[in-house]
Amino acid sequence: MAEISLVDVSMRDGNQSLWGATGLNTAQMLQIAGATDRVGFRAIDFASSTHMAVAVRYFREDPWERLRRVHAAMPNTPLQYITTGMRFIAWQQADPDFMALTYRCLQRSGIGKFIMLDPMHDADAVIAGARLVKQEGGAQVMAALTFTLSEVHTDQFYADFARKLAACPDIDLFYLKDPSGLMSAERVRSLAPAVKAAIGGKSLEIHAHCTIGRGAVTSLAAADLGIVDAIHVGIGPLGEGSSLPEAGRMLANLREAGHSVAVDEAMLAKVSDYWWRLARAEALPPGTPQAFDASFTRHQIAGGVMTTTRRQLAELKLEHRFDEVIAETERVRAELGHPIMVTPFPQMVMSQALFNVIGTERYAQVSDEVLRYVMGKFGRPTSPLDPAVEAAIRDRPRAREIEREPSFPTLADLRRKFGPHMADEEFLLRAVMPSDQVDAMLAAGPSRGHYNPDAAPMLRLLRELAGRPAARDIMVEMPGLRLALHGGAHVA
Amino acid sequence: MIRRLFIANRGEIALRVIRSAQRLGIVTILGASESDKDSLPARLADEVAIIGPAPAAQSYLDVAAVVAAARAARADAVHPGYGFLSENAGFARDLAAAGIIFVGPDPAGLDAMGDKLAARRVATEAGLPVVPGGEAADANAAMARALETGFPVLLKAVAGGGGKGMKRVTCAEDLPAAISMAMSEAQASFGNPAVYVERFIGSGRHVEVQVLGDGENAIHLGTRDCSIQRRFQKLVEEAPAPDLPDAVRAGLEDAAVKLTKRLSYRGAGTVEFLVDAETHDYFFLEMNARIQVEHPVTEAITGIDLVEQQLLVAGGAKLTLDQSMIRPHGHAIEVRINAEDPAEDFRPAPGVVTRAAWPAGPGIRIDSHIARGGVVPPFYDSLIGKLIVHGQSRAEAVAGMARALAALRIEGVPTTTGLHRRIMADPRFMAGGVDTRFFENFV
Repeated sequence: MAEISLVDVSMRDGNQSLWGATGLNTAQMLQIAGATDRVGFRAIDFASSTHMAVAVRYFREDPWERLRRVHAAMPNTPLQYITTGMRFIAWQQADPDFMALTYRCLQRSGIGKFIMLDPMHDADAVIAGARLVKQEGGAQVMAALTFTLSEVHTDQFYADFARKLAACPDIDLFYLKDPSGLMSAERVRSLAPAVKAAIGGKSLEIHAHCTIGRGAVTSLAAADLGIVDAIHVGIGPLGEGSSLPEAGRMLANLREAGHSVAVDEAMLAKVSDYWWRLARAEALPPGTPQAFDASFTRHQIAGGVMTTTRRQLAELKLEHRFDEVIAETERVRAELGHPIMVTPFPQMVMSQALFNVIGTERYAQVSDEVLRYVMGKFGRPTSPLDPAVEAAIRDRPRAREIEREPSFPTLADLRRKFGPHMADEEFLLRAVMPSDQVDAMLAAGPSRGHYNPDAAPMLRLLRELAGRPAARDIMVEMPGLRLALHGGAHVA
Repeated sequence: MIRRLFIANRGEIALRVIRSAQRLGIVTILGASESDKDSLPARLADEVAIIGPAPAAQSYLDVAAVVAAARAARADAVHPGYGFLSENAGFARDLAAAGIIFVGPDPAGLDAMGDKLAARRVATEAGLPVVPGGEAADANAAMARALETGFPVLLKAVAGGGGKGMKRVTCAEDLPAAISMAMSEAQASFGNPAVYVERFIGSGRHVEVQVLGDGENAIHLGTRDCSIQRRFQKLVEEAPAPDLPDAVRAGLEDAAVKLTKRLSYRGAGTVEFLVDAETHDYFFLEMNARIQVEHPVTEAITGIDLVEQQLLVAGGAKLTLDQSMIRPHGHAIEVRINAEDPAEDFRPAPGVVTRAAWPAGPGIRIDSHIARGGVVPPFYDSLIGKLIVHGQSRAEAVAGMARALAALRIEGVPTTTGLHRRIMADPRFMAGGVDTRFFENFV
């Protein structure tokens, strides 16, 4: 019997896993922020640099304004931001001064908890990121122990990694992050105690995706151990699928197992109802429970990447070589030091496998991403690369060109470029995004503050009708409703 | 944390509070009079409690009835809206005694700001400039005060608000008659005959600052200008106040925050100033310890839901906003659409609205409880809705408001729509920064 908290990932990871990170705009989140705050979650997984870029590019919404307004409506629950430490929107590692400014602005805008994730499990990189966060404010820092299956990612590996981090006073807590949903209940029963022994009094959370139907059972097994403090969940249509276990179901299961969870069930039901109404109004696909797929634990290639590769093979009329590509993917991953199979690495590894299978010889053709990875531009690989493969990859003219690519400019250079008086938040966006996208965002003005899922389809209809100048007067009549649209009026 | 909220008000503000409360997942109970039991707020509230018959004195102003209804409804908080019991410290005390949260400042804060003299004293202590003047117990004292401050003077009820009982007196001969009228009006309206005499600023602008406090911290959400008034009743409001030097604006905002901190104020409040239109000298007038009718213009430029903030602070939360998080954008204007007859000197004109075609579109917000078939009862004020337009600039907001007013159609009762259309076309208004004498030269 344990005291378990829940962390709601609906707005960030749920939205990203199920709706491509483009599902939700500011008004849609703001509308439910106040109620979500009252459910009793330990934290709300809310933003990442991907989400901030999507806000600008896709919605023309100011991501800083979004943070401030949502934070204003949520006095009780910390907003969580996930970062790989030294990157903000651009793929390149940024200058530490630039990142310090980013962390300052994020904390000023309302971020209260950071997830520090280094996909290569480089402890020094995590500690450097955590230190920058703490230097710029009082937010909590949670270190990610990113789970994958490989010969190097043993319980001992995670325990050693966690022990190094736990010694750092800038890291407050940890979580077992299983982005591909590979962790079994059996594995968590050995892994969580090994990690807990290494982190001592620091708190441990679990984040187990449902990609092959394991997330809920693994999370419950973790709760039963009595050493895990919080479980990550998605609410209503933003749970299950490739997202996290559904919150209402998880709450019921935890209570069934005798655990106590300080969550307001009625309020959770209200929030869930809102997300369901929104999903229906916007035709966004809800997460559904997934069947177990044993092969996934071997190749770990997400569905999207798999589909793309199949299509590419079909276009080349080489469909019959698909199994070969899968086997080659496993081999390439090992040769590249077992990168964790989360974006961008599955795409990178599988396209290399495809080149290797259809090309004249292995590593004859190498993508820029693989080159950058091998040259350490994404960080230090988890385990050593195969020396022969590394040499083969590095020995080409393109490698020397990439070596000469300009690195991320210094903060001072960027300040000079944009002028000393530009506000910090606008400066950070302009430094990493095309200026026309930032201009369009600014021209669009503040985001809307209200969203009503029940009215959304009607407003869409009206907008389309109003866009037809030939129809001056439009009347919609049905039982209980009479709607008149007269020429000259316009609907936002 | 508030779970069941009783709304002790009616009309558009009741609807406004219901919307924010429901968004927070709070169960809403509307305390309605008999005549409002079928109103739009009553239909949208989760529950309705009848607090008394139609006349306000027996319903919305009846402290015992409202407290009893809130208690019977198992409410853990009461939102008073504006007007009615919103600044009644006795009501706040009775609620506290019943274990119910009053969504507003504590009774001591209400006392401090409800009495104009006490407010003036606190403001002076906080370092705010005040208009020369003072209290007068009778006509002789009033004359002495008036001679001290110089004519013209303004007479105000010490316990009053909302412009009731205010009189402007231009010369000594008119003072005795005016003072006796002001005192009897003050007695009738507020149960306290005391009046206050202060210097009347010839060309004054009414500028106010929206504040939020949590008892410790306080922030401002910028200025509003409410100089367009008829008989001391606001008609048009805008944010930010136009045509003010930056230093003056900053001075007003700082002064408002200073006062809010001095009072350890909790909730939303408005600090009102009189700004001399020529010199830009400013004087503290009063602090309204409640949500204001014109709060939407501030919401439009800041993106902050003020009612939500009131509910959060009342529920025990600390402000998560700090001053750096408030970034006003663009300009917003609100006009009050009242059911009043322009042909009858704007006499309130209750009735049934047979058609209500409110405009819609980018930047337009409507706060109204009146749709087709909506009833404007004769018992209460005549406000049927507020039209708020937000634009990137003041010029854009004025033009947008003119277009929105052109599209607005209310039938069944006469309204102030035509008056507002003329205001939007007035070159002085279009230029911005008019003083409170705007209507003296208005055709």
